[in-house]
Amino acid sequence: MIKIPTNILLVDDEKDFVEILAMRLEEAGEKVTPAYDGQMCLDILDKKPIDVVILDIKMPGMDGINTLHKIKIMHPLVEVILLTGHGSTETAIEGMKLGAFDYLLKPADFDDLKAKLSGARKKKEEQDERIRKAEVRQLLRRGGNI
Amino acid sequence: MEPEQIKNIRLLLVDDEAQFRSTLAKRLQKRGVVALQAGSGEECLSILEDHPMDVVVLDVKMPGISGIDALSQITERHAETEVILLTGHAATQDGVEGIKSGAYDYLTKPVEFDHLLGKIIQAYEKILGEKQQKEAAEYRARTKQQMIATERLAALGTLAAGIAHEINNPLAIINESAGYLESLLQKQEYADMPRRAVFEKALKKIGGSVGRARNITHQLLGNVRKTKPILTDVDAFELVLETAQLIKKEAQEKEIVVDLQTAEALKPILTNPNQVRQVLINLISNAIHATPQQGRISVEVAPTAGGISIAVSDTGTGVPKEHLEKIFEPFFSTKAPGEGTGLGLFVTREIVEKLGGTVEVMSKIGQDTRFTVYIPDQGRAENMGNR
Ligand SMILES: Nc1ncnc2c1ncn2[C@@H]1O[C@H](COP(=O)(O)OP(=O)(O)OP(=O)(O)O)[C@@H](O)[C@H]1O
Ligand SMILES: [Mg+2]
Ligand SMILES: [Mg+2]
Repeated sequence: MIKIPTNILLVDDEKDFVEILAMRLEEAGEKVTPAYDGQMCLDILDKKPIDVVILDIKMPGMDGINTLHKIKIMHPLVEVILLTGHGSTETAIEGMKLGAFDYLLKPADFDDLKAKLSGARKKKEEQDERIRKAEVRQLLRRGGNI
Repeated sequence: MEPEQIKNIRLLLVDDEAQFRSTLAKRLQKRGVVALQAGSGEECLSILEDHPMDVVVLDVKMPGISGIDALSQITERHAETEVILLTGHAATQDGVEGIKSGAYDYLTKPVEFDHLLGKIIQAYEKILGEKQQKEAAEYRARTKQQMIATERLAALGTLAAGIAHEINNPLAIINESAGYLESLLQKQEYADMPRRAVFEKALKKIGGSVGRARNITHQLLGNVRKTKPILTDVDAFELVLETAQLIKKEAQEKEIVVDLQTAEALKPILTNPNQVRQVLINLISNAIHATPQQGRISVEVAPTAGGISIAVSDTGTGVPKEHLEKIFEPFFSTKAPGEGTGLGLFVTREIVEKLGGTVEVMSKIGQDTRFTVYIPDQGRAENMGNR
């Protein structure tokens, strides 16, 4: 069976980290786009279809929480997994209140990350599906009016 | 002085005249003071070896070693004992010399009984006063030491958390790099790579060590609270039951029975449940580590004046006396490397103190060990200051 890759946008100011985790995820059959700050993340989301964003919280400039805030306004259907080097889970939980799917502490366990990625992707697919059905219903209704 | 206190005076009468001693002893007894007796300076010194005295009433003129010689030995070896000299009539010179060499006072024979009793009581009061002063000074020194230690630990905690955060990032890179290489080795194209097993083994070790380092950084960071902690009504026993579930597996592996007990009327208290849970996990998992196969651990919750107490007891190895203060220091651990970071109790104490409570430990080697935490109810007016 061929695995359909998840389109992941990996955002972290640590370039080495982005590079190596991207390689590992690609090796595991995912499709990864790198970004190194919040603005770059938002720019890519405008151009490319993305399923899940893996987002570092602590970044210079626009931090992860701010970026998350904007993602949820402009691309509400994209799921976000927060990544934090802070053991204190509180910022991460604050992020979940803002609509993040889940969070992970650095260094993260890869199996954990994979499990959360597939959960996030499933949620996104279900939502896409619901929207498609709603659109079809609307089309049908319109059709009936003719 | 109260008659009750007079009874506590440990008194030794030293005189070569048996008649004089026993008459004096009888009169003292009527006033509530029980005195030991010695017939010579030698006997006096040998009694003092085994029976510490508060006051010695010492005749100066005796066969064998003189009262003055006995006095100088007493002041040398039993500094806490006060000596009242009895000098012969018209031998005031002896008395003055005696005071110079450390006697409390001297009386000339024949002594007037009430006068002697008064002097004995004064000497005893002097001892009590000095003892109190010494205790107060020790107490001050101890609290000061504790304060320094607490401040140092707090500063260390903040510093350690900062370092831990900085370490997590490179740690994550190491982790992903090793993981990436491991996943490559799983591929068909690497199946015949020379010495593949060695590479795999080395990568596993890297992964394992990252795990160890992560346990340390996460323990250190777990304790840092940036935002306001949550406070809710907590049923402490519910929390104990819940926590016991979390570590059930560990206990079952060693076939340890975990006995959970609570007082009947336990009211909920306002506190931070997450932090109390972390404290419980640390204490119970320590108890499991210390307890032999098929042992028993108990967790008891009870109400206290200002909140609740939770006691975790085990009958495991115990903590040696010389370790009792150290176990709360960061990185102190008697466990093998990789099995204990030595942060459990450090973090436990920090958390409990932040919650406004205290931790106590009592341990008898090879018998039992009990850690008790007292957690105040932050909903009570008198505890509000701890928020
Ligand atoms: N219940 C107990 N019985 C006997 N010794 C104990 C008990 N609890 C703690 N200790 C001693 O105190 C030391 C420090 O405990 P602490 O929980 O701080 O660290 P640790 O258990 O060694 O490591 P970890 O950070 O994984 O908890 C232990 O290594 C052990 O020697
Ligand atoms: Mg960062
Ligand atoms: Mg421990």
